[in-house]
Amino acid sequence: MSFHLFPGFIGLSAAMFGIGAVGVLARRNPLVVFMSIELMLNAANLALVTYGRFTHTMDGQVFAIVVITVAASEVVVGLALITGVFRRGRRLDLDDLAELRE
Amino acid sequence: MTAIFGVAAGIAFLGALGVVVARRTLYSALALIVNMLALAVLFLLLDAQFLAAVQVIVYAGAVMVLFVFIIALLSPGAQARLRPTELRVLIGAGAAVLFTVVLVRLTLNGITVTPGGHFHGTIGPFAPLLVDRHGQVQTLGEQLFTTFLLPFEVSSLLLLVAAVGAVHLARGRQATP
Repeated sequence: MSFHLFPGFIGLSAAMFGIGAVGVLARRNPLVVFMSIELMLNAANLALVTYGRFTHTMDGQVFAIVVITVAASEVVVGLALITGVFRRGRRLDLDDLAELRE
Repeated sequence: MTAIFGVAAGIAFLGALGVVVARRTLYSALALIVNMLALAVLFLLLDAQFLAAVQVIVYAGAVMVLFVFIIALLSPGAQARLRPTELRVLIGAGAAVLFTVVLVRLTLNGITVTPGGHFHGTIGPFAPLLVDRHGQVQTLGEQLFTTFLLPFEVSSLLLLVAAVGAVHLARGRQATP
């Protein structure tokens, strides 16, 4: 593994995280917001695996597996919530979504 | 190897942009799948074969199939396109650029990579070449079931809770007595 690629991996990870943050902040469709969160989790995974590879340990990969597990369960619960909200309100817009407050 | 990294990183970046920019939700999902497949290639470059397989099977397979299924079920129409002049988009983009710069600065702080392949950082001495010991999946499994046994079990508990919670949410009101 050529070590000069290390800043490239970290830079790509940071850029993906930033793009995902834009998606979470600027989009109003809850499905797209969820996908942006997945994007950010993927960026974190890439950073973890990169550091694990360049420090010669397996810790990063184990962390990444745990992150994937958390992401999968988060998607399951989140999509169930979105379908539930959509069934009640028939709208997919985060700005109109105030019923979770009560 | 640099060429492969360049191509895969470019595809991953474009896929990530597509998720946020795309007008239809389904296109966002497809862009995310492209991004995840490119990430699997990057994982292969990083000698993480098991994670690459998990990335394809679990993420691009299971999670994204669930996403596409929900999109088909709810069938959201075309969304309003992101307008660069809108205030929230400006704030979001500014925050993201700032965050990216800070993240790169912080993570690369004090770490130098010499052309000879040596990795100097302020983190301290690194563990002895665990990656190169024997087969990747074998090493990962050993670590997962010895050193990291507790996080492994906790994550299985988390999956159980998520499954129960999803079933409860999906049953809706009429199921409650």
